[in-house]
Amino acid sequence: MKILKKLLRNPTSMAGLVLLLAFTFIAVFAPQIAPPPERSRDPYMIPRDGFSTTPAAPDDEHPFGTTEGQYDIYYGVVWGTRTAFRVGVVVTIFTTIIGLAVGSVAAFYGGWLDEVLMRITEIFQAFPFLLAAITMTSVLHTIYGRGEAGPLTFMAKMLALVTFGHNPAKPVDPMQMQILTGILAIIVFGWMTYARVIRGNILAVRELEYAMAARAIGAGNMRILLRHLLPNAIFPVLVIASMNIGSYVLNFAALSFLGLGAQRGYADWGQMINFARNWIPSLADHWYIVVYPGMAIVLFVLAWNLVGDVLRDVLDPRMRGRGNGF
Amino acid sequence: MLAYITRRLLILPILIIGVTILVFGLLSLLTPYERVALYVQDTPKRQGAIDELIVKYGLDDPIPVQYWRWMVGQRDPDTGEVKGGILRGDLGFSQVGRSAVAEVVARRLPATAELALWSAVPMIGIGIWLGVLSAIHHNKLLDQVLRVFSITGWSIPVFVFGLLMLMIFYARLGWFAPDRLSDWASRIVQSDAFRRYTQINTLDALLNLRLDIFWDAVKHLIMPVVTLSYLNWAFMLRVTRSSMLDTLRQDYLTTARAKGLAESAVIRRHALPNGLIPVVTVGGLTLIGLLNGVVITETVFNYPGMGSFMAQAASSLDVVSVLGVTLLSSVILVFGNLIVDVLYGFIDPRIRLQ
Repeated sequence: MKILKKLLRNPTSMAGLVLLLAFTFIAVFAPQIAPPPERSRDPYMIPRDGFSTTPAAPDDEHPFGTTEGQYDIYYGVVWGTRTAFRVGVVVTIFTTIIGLAVGSVAAFYGGWLDEVLMRITEIFQAFPFLLAAITMTSVLHTIYGRGEAGPLTFMAKMLALVTFGHNPAKPVDPMQMQILTGILAIIVFGWMTYARVIRGNILAVRELEYAMAARAIGAGNMRILLRHLLPNAIFPVLVIASMNIGSYVLNFAALSFLGLGAQRGYADWGQMINFARNWIPSLADHWYIVVYPGMAIVLFVLAWNLVGDVLRDVLDPRMRGRGNGF
Repeated sequence: MLAYITRRLLILPILIIGVTILVFGLLSLLTPYERVALYVQDTPKRQGAIDELIVKYGLDDPIPVQYWRWMVGQRDPDTGEVKGGILRGDLGFSQVGRSAVAEVVARRLPATAELALWSAVPMIGIGIWLGVLSAIHHNKLLDQVLRVFSITGWSIPVFVFGLLMLMIFYARLGWFAPDRLSDWASRIVQSDAFRRYTQINTLDALLNLRLDIFWDAVKHLIMPVVTLSYLNWAFMLRVTRSSMLDTLRQDYLTTARAKGLAESAVIRRHALPNGLIPVVTVGGLTLIGLLNGVVITETVFNYPGMGSFMAQAASSLDVVSVLGVTLLSSVILVFGNLIVDVLYGFIDPRIRLQ
């Protein structure tokens, strides 16, 4: 509560919160703001107005213009908000869970298990993140492309359930599969910070009196870890995680831009900007194919960063009681 | 100090082996059929040829056996020559590059190195300079402006920034162009009269005393260099600023002022040496930024380096090439981090004197 009050009093975080509220509003009311055409099979597919390759400038019918292939930019920007939230939230949930599991087990049991888990964490960190995510996506695309993938299919279905509320009994829509591949790649290489932070925090609280007390009254390992240690060590991780939503969206957009994230025509900001790659010499005329979806990404990420910036000060004890430094 | 460096050196092989295991693990997610590409350079014409290859190279053997073979290579039963083995520099065959992955990378690495070298200077120099300015003017107007600049910079995706640069400086104003050289310049560079000493255009042009080509190369470099650096300016700025702020509050600076030193001397001689120590530690993160950044930057500017090769390979699902580049980048990163850590040990007296 105190934190929220501080966030509301600081103009920087206030601006961020207002932006986030606006994006939430757009995401929730997307069907009203940009109604999908009748008889559309999937509202996330951007409606097309013809098949001409040349992008068309904004007019009354298409307020933000259309991209190559006549996909409506306004519609894509509005519905892309939902995709952005989805990607950000799902990646955050899974990376946090993996990080919490690895980090708390390492810290709680210590010894060789700690050593092994931390070395594995370091190995994952030895990869430049984007390169690793690109690699992972291209491997997963190959695997999922051939249909049968054993345990990986199960993972994809779990993700589909969480991301799209997809019925696990049915096969996953290829359109959604593309998004899930990108999400999965970011998750696999995105959990390490959380593991390290939670490990440090648990090591700090493990030796405190209440943990000893719980042990003394005969509580089991799991109970001590889950009921006593985690709740006291988890908060900073949750904050870092929620602030990373912006950067996850940014990385997913980069994958889409390279043609590895969302499929052509899907309401996703990065995918829409991908079209611009074919129009570089005439970008001065077709500015709208970069500017509108680009602005959406920048504002979305900026919103999270503005809030995160202030939150970091509030949570950093060294900065307490000082002016607004970052 | 010695113990510190020894520990770092001991972890190094573990990390490198771990990286190769992870890369091979990803590779072994593919079926033997998909992995034949590692060994085959042309599509076999005969039916059943692929099955023979799978048996010949043992692609259905147990994974650890295959891993070992993938690391050190394998003797061809017919010709007796050793083939493959990433330790021998064989990263497999690239379908996109139509030649060995190692060859493509070697061919494209100078372009990426040129881009990275030109970016590193403004990245570190300007970033640190802005950070120091920001700390000295703590909470004044300049500090606030730079703060907004860094948060905003941090929020613009590299590809959006790059496309905006192209829109303004190429499509609208026509000042700079994508690619690496203009047509006329690349004709000269590829001719016999022009000696390639380093494959780095700007350097070679100077060595050949061709200022016109140097200028052309610079004109092609400006946009990608700025695109690759701006994010790291923002990052460097923040790190330098917060570390300088910590230093500026120390008592010994008050002492320095009390003995009558001018403020500029206080900052230059007493604050900077200590304030910049933590900046060295983010060298590793800067390297990550560069390795990640070149993929997008080179793709946007159609710049023929390792990054754009990676992007092309990924979008045509050429897994072998992608894994090769990633493996190489990770090894570069692991060594880069080692250098940074050792450097840190030398610079920071708290570690040096242990």
